[in-house]
Amino acid sequence: MGKKVVLTGNYSASEAAALCRPDLIAAYPITPQSSVVEYLAGMVHNGKIDANLVQVESEHSACSVVQGAVAAGGRVFTATSAQGLALMYEPYFRMSTLRFPMVMALATREMTSPETVWSGQQDAMSVREAGWIQVYCDGNQEIVDMVIQGYKIAENEKVLLPVNVCYDGFYSSHLTEGVDLPLQEEVDRFLPAVHFNHCVLDPEKPFALDPLTPGPLMMKYRKSHLDAMEAALTVIEEVDKEFGDQFGRYYGGAISEYRTEDADVVILTIGGMTGTGMDAVDLAREQGIKAGLVKIRFARPFPAKRIAKALAGKKAFAVIDRSVSFGWSTGPMYMETRAALTDVDDKFAHFSAIGGLGGADISLDRMLGTIKKLDTVKNEPGQKETQWYMTD
Amino acid sequence: MAEHLHITPIGNDGIYCLDTASWRVYRPVMDKEKCVDCGICLAYCPVNAIIGTSDKKYEITYDYCKGCGICANECKKGAITMVPEGSGK
Amino acid sequence: MSYIDVLREAKDVVTPGMSACQGCGGELILRTVLQVSGKNTIVGIPPGCMAGAGVVGWNYANGLEIPVHIPLLDNTASFLTGVSQMYERKGRTDVNIVAVAGDGATADCGFQSLSAAAERNEKMLYVCYDNEGYMNTGYQRSSTTSRGSRTSTTPIGSVINGKQQHQKYLPLIMSMHGLEYCATASPSHMADLVAKVQKGLAASKKGFAYLHVFSPCPTGWAYKSEKAIEVARKAVASNVFPLWEMDENGYKLTENKNPISVAEFVQGIGKFKNLTPEVIESIQKVADARYETLRKLSAK
Repeated sequence: MGKKVVLTGNYSASEAAALCRPDLIAAYPITPQSSVVEYLAGMVHNGKIDANLVQVESEHSACSVVQGAVAAGGRVFTATSAQGLALMYEPYFRMSTLRFPMVMALATREMTSPETVWSGQQDAMSVREAGWIQVYCDGNQEIVDMVIQGYKIAENEKVLLPVNVCYDGFYSSHLTEGVDLPLQEEVDRFLPAVHFNHCVLDPEKPFALDPLTPGPLMMKYRKSHLDAMEAALTVIEEVDKEFGDQFGRYYGGAISEYRTEDADVVILTIGGMTGTGMDAVDLAREQGIKAGLVKIRFARPFPAKRIAKALAGKKAFAVIDRSVSFGWSTGPMYMETRAALTDVDDKFAHFSAIGGLGGADISLDRMLGTIKKLDTVKNEPGQKETQWYMTD
Repeated sequence: MAEHLHITPIGNDGIYCLDTASWRVYRPVMDKEKCVDCGICLAYCPVNAIIGTSDKKYEITYDYCKGCGICANECKKGAITMVPEGSGK
Repeated sequence: MSYIDVLREAKDVVTPGMSACQGCGGELILRTVLQVSGKNTIVGIPPGCMAGAGVVGWNYANGLEIPVHIPLLDNTASFLTGVSQMYERKGRTDVNIVAVAGDGATADCGFQSLSAAAERNEKMLYVCYDNEGYMNTGYQRSSTTSRGSRTSTTPIGSVINGKQQHQKYLPLIMSMHGLEYCATASPSHMADLVAKVQKGLAASKKGFAYLHVFSPCPTGWAYKSEKAIEVARKAVASNVFPLWEMDENGYKLTENKNPISVAEFVQGIGKFKNLTPEVIESIQKVADARYETLRKLSAK
C-alpha cells in the first residue's frame, strides 16, 4: 500500500512523475499547469529527486529539450496547457512521429479567443491528429496512476509513442483530493528502467536521426505509427490489468462503464465531468429512467470497438463535450462516437451536448436534463439538436 | 541492408553520396613544377577533393571535385589552372 | 601543428558527394568544423543549405559518419540542450555536442531558443554559417542580410530597391549572454577559423560556445564560384565582417588598421549591383561604427 496524502491535481501529476525517475524535466509556466513544474523544481532543488531540470524560455523549447533528451536515451517529463500546447505544436507533432516515448501532463484549458485562462478541453482536442496517445482523467488518484501507467504504455515496444495525461484545468488541477501515493519501490517494480534504444544518438553507433524521407517510405512510417496506435488499444488494457493487480485500482482500460448493463439511455463523458455524470445517472435511476454512463478515457487511440460494444442494444445516447468541433455544430467526441457506430448509427436516438467552455459549469441539473431528453426521444432514432449548457 | 522496422526514421545503411564530379565544367589541373606544397588549396577546397600525400605534397582528386575554381583562384603561385572538361588537355 | 597539418591529417566525416553549390562556403565550414571536432561528435543541422544538401541523410542512408539530427528550423539549441544534458548525466562529457546552423535558423526564428540556451550556458558549440539569407529556399532576406542586398523578398524594384534595413549584428548580441566563448571567423582566414573551432570545442565542455562564421555564397550573392574566398577575405578587410573573439579574458579584436572601403568590397557582387552611393555610405558608417565599438570593447 502507498502513502495517503492530500494533493491537488497538479501536485498529483508532479509526485507521480517524480516516482517514475525522470532523467530530465523541462519547466515553463502557464496557467493552470504552472504548479506541476514548480513542484518538481522544488523536488530537484531540495535533492528529493535526481533529475536534470531545464528552465526553458517557452513551451516550444520545453518540448524540444525533452526531445533532445529522449534522443540521447532519457526518460523525460513536462507539462503544459492551451496556448503553451499550441506554441509547442511543431516539436509536439515531431515527438510522436519520431516515435519518442514520454509523458506530458496537460491541464486542459480553453483556447483563446475570447481571452481566457479557464477550463475546457479545446487544447487537447485540437491535437488529436498529432499522433500522441491521450488519456483523460477525472480525479487526482487517476492522474497519479495514469502518469505512472503512461510511461509503461509509452515505452512498450509495440507502442513507442508519447502519452498526454489530460485533466481539467482548475477543476482537477487546483482541487485537492485524498490520494493513495504509491511507494517508490512499488513503482520501480511496476516500471522498469528505460530500455528503448531504437533512436539513441551515439557516436559509437552513428546514424542519421530522421534523414530526408521520400513519400513511398514516409507511407511506411505513417502506417507503422497507426499500427502502433492500434496496438496501444491492447497494451492499454494489459497495463490497466497489471497496474490493478499490483496496486488494487482498475480503471477499465480505454473506457469505463457505469450502470450501463440494463440501460436504455447512455451519456458519454470525458474527463472531470464524469463524477457529476454518475450522480446524474443515479438521480435519473431514482426517477425511473434506465440510464447509464460511458467514460471515454482514451481519445487517442479512439476505443471505437469498445464504445460500439458498450452501446450495443441501447436506445439513445448523448456525448457531452467540453470543446467544439468547428464545422460540425457538435462536440468532437460526439462525432467520433458516431463514427464508431457507423453501421448502426441510425438505430439510435442521439445528440451532442456542449458545456463547460472557458470554465463554465457543467451542472448536475444540466446532465440530468440531457438524460431526461434522451429518455423522451429514445424511440425516435436519428440525430437531435445539439444541447448547449448555457449557464446564464 | 539492415531490416527496417519503420519505427523512428533512421539512416544507418551507409553514406548517402552524390556524383558531384558530373557537375564539373572546368577541371583544376596542378602544375607540380610551380607547386610549393603550401597546402592552401587543401585548406580552401569546399569538397576536400585535394588531399595530402605521404611525401608531404598535395594532389587533386576528381571523384567529387565540383570544379568551383577556388583552388586555382587562391593559389599564390598560379600552379593550378582550370581546364575545360573534355578539351583533351 | 599548423592549421594546414590539422586539416591535412583530420578525417573528413562528411559525405564526399553532397549537393551544396560550387564554391559553397557552408560546405567548407561544415567540413572544417567537423574535421576539427572529429568522430566523437553529435551534430544538429537544422533545415537550411547544409541539411538540404543531404548531410542529414536520405532514405536509409546517413550523410555523415557521425550521429546527426535535423532539428526544427527554430529549436536547434533547445534540442541539443537535451542531448547535452543527457550526455553529461551519462558521464560522457567527452562527446562534442555541436550545431551547424544557417543564419535563418540562428538569428531569426531560431533566436529565441538560441538565446535561452546561451543564457543557461548549456554545454555545446553552436556554429552559425552566415550567408546572409535563406539561401536554401532561394535567397530570401533574413535579419543578417546587409542593407541594399537584392534578395527574392527584397528585390530591386522601381519603387523599393533591395533590403531597406541594416543587418542585425548577431555575434555581439550573443557575446552579451555571458557565454564561455564567442567569436567571429571567416573561411578566408583559415588558421584563425581552425583555432577558434578548437577553442570553441574546449569551451563547450564548460558552457555555451558560439561561433559566427562568414559564409560566402556565390549562388545567392551572384558572383563566380572561384571568388568565394576572395569575397570572404574582402568582407574582413573592409570591416564589414571584423574578426574578434571573447572569452574569460574579455574581447579581443583582430586589428585591421588599413581597411579597404565598403565600395571596394561590394564591387563585382551581383546582389549589391544596384547600390546607390548613399546606401554604400550608410553601410560604410555602420561598418566603421561597429569596428570602433569592438575596438573599445577590446581595449585593455
